[in-house]
Amino acid sequence: MKNIIFIIIATFFFTAKCMAQTDEPMSRIQSISNHLRNPTREYILVVSHRGDWRYAPENSVEAVQRCIDLGVDIVEIDVRITKDGHLIAIHDETVDRTTNGSGKVSDFTLVEIKQLKLKNACGIKGSRFTIPTLEEIMLVAKDKIMINLDKTEGETVQEAYLILKKTQTVDHAIFKANSSMNEMREKYGELMDSIIFMPKLWYENERVAQHLEEYESDINPFVYETLFDSEDATTFKLLPQLNRNGDSFLAICLWDALCAGYTDEKAVVEGAEESYGWLISHGADGIMTDRPELLLDYLRAKGLHE
Amino acid sequence: MYYIISKTLLALSFAISLGCTELFSQYASKNSPQSIEALIDNLEDSNNKEIIVVAHRGDWRHAPENSLQAIQNCIDMGVDMVEIDVRRTKDGHLVLMHDETIDRTTNGTGRVEKNTLAQLKELRLLDGLGIKTEHQVPTLEEAFLVTKDKILVNLDKSYEIFEECYHIAKTAGTLDQIIIKGVKSHVEVEQEFGKYLDEVYFMPIVRLPDTRAKQLVDDYLDNRLPIAFEFTLKYDSLEMIDYFDDIRKKGAGVWVNSLWPQHNGGHDDEKAALDPSVYDWFIDNAIDIIQTDRPQLLINYLRSKGLHD
Repeated sequence: MKNIIFIIIATFFFTAKCMAQTDEPMSRIQSISNHLRNPTREYILVVSHRGDWRYAPENSVEAVQRCIDLGVDIVEIDVRITKDGHLIAIHDETVDRTTNGSGKVSDFTLVEIKQLKLKNACGIKGSRFTIPTLEEIMLVAKDKIMINLDKTEGETVQEAYLILKKTQTVDHAIFKANSSMNEMREKYGELMDSIIFMPKLWYENERVAQHLEEYESDINPFVYETLFDSEDATTFKLLPQLNRNGDSFLAICLWDALCAGYTDEKAVVEGAEESYGWLISHGADGIMTDRPELLLDYLRAKGLHE
Repeated sequence: MYYIISKTLLALSFAISLGCTELFSQYASKNSPQSIEALIDNLEDSNNKEIIVVAHRGDWRHAPENSLQAIQNCIDMGVDMVEIDVRRTKDGHLVLMHDETIDRTTNGTGRVEKNTLAQLKELRLLDGLGIKTEHQVPTLEEAFLVTKDKILVNLDKSYEIFEECYHIAKTAGTLDQIIIKGVKSHVEVEQEFGKYLDEVYFMPIVRLPDTRAKQLVDDYLDNRLPIAFEFTLKYDSLEMIDYFDDIRKKGAGVWVNSLWPQHNGGHDDEKAALDPSVYDWFIDNAIDIIQTDRPQLLINYLRSKGLHD
């Protein structure tokens, strides 16, 4: 009798375990995406500006890999197009600051670009790394981290989308722009329904509230980038509405004018609570940072990150 | 039994996580910095196994290069020595600045020597992306006051302004913790600055390959023992490397930069970032002072080998 009870109990637990396992565990990308789509106050997303450029050159494959190793959720990467139509990751219009070459990106072919070596932060030479293509970035990111594509809005959304299709990473990439819903529709039509798009709520945009409404009533984005130079900025006053709508928003704490002065630098000088803590208490669901390690340490200590 | 195992596991996982923090976090718990006396003793003793870590331009990854904050970060990190660059302003003040112009590192433009100190102080230093920070161009005196009794200082670009550096250090009370360096021969240095050499450390720079290198080194060793030699090694097959051990035994340290491949025959920081055991080459070749662009990585590695405090 004892044995039978044991078998019944054992079978019960075994079945329960099997049933639990039939739900596939969420992939890293699904998990990040889920946090963006269903924001909670228990998890704050970390977005690394140009990759961890304190460790490896900005916009390099290695700076993205470093973010993956740290546990960052999203890396922001700048995309530009070469003379022969290839998409590459580089911030400036010229290669002067970040490589050992000089000249405009648009005057180089990809083969020529690949001969340059990236510089470390501060323009300190010595890195062995080269400018990556968007394709190389997406292949490193695949299944590991989401990518926020900057500087694509004016011209290269279509080209970038083709790379994402090719690398099967459409769901990894977040496009963004200052442009209005109408402008984006005119330029890209139905493509806007196939990509993840994050409108920027820019403090100098006088019709930013209307801008938000237009997006809400068309593609209905689930994430916004917010930029407010002070607490008087209209964008800042829209934050509670974003929270109420169940949309998530990123705060951009790179320098004073983007986040009313609640910056990375303030976190270093006055402590993370004074800066990151303030942004979170005002509803931020994610923070774009130049100090991903510092932010992650802070969030983990607060139980707000994995 | 279960209790004991779980306790052991807990202790083990605690130890592992501590180890990981130590190895991987840039923000590892601050070690109590060594006293300046201990740092100087270690610098003077070329025969102990401790390896001295020198941070190139300060901790430029987390603060602007050559800023007071970049120096302070090095002190907090447990770095032994900070390397800074010194230049003279139009009105004769010494400031920290690497380039001849202020274009790359500040929000101004033009040559350092065409600006007065007051003009430079109006500017702000840029961070690693070229974005303006709150930090200002420091004077050498301000830098000395931050380093005083905390960290050794190597002055680059200092040979031409040797006397001025000497006097500022004397006033600041940091004379015994600075190293001035230059590429001149023993005879030349003796003629030009002999009267100061009993009071301040001087380090000859030797760029290899150079057929006269052995003679240059021996002239120093026989006549006035320098605190160390800085060697630049284009290749790692150079014969001079076999001489390092003797140089150490004779009482001078051996300094090699891990900064770029052409300093160390390809055993550089960027390679070490992918595999820290790259630093074994320095250890195996009797190099006891390493100037690095990755001080945290190097310190962590040396500590794991018992070669750094």
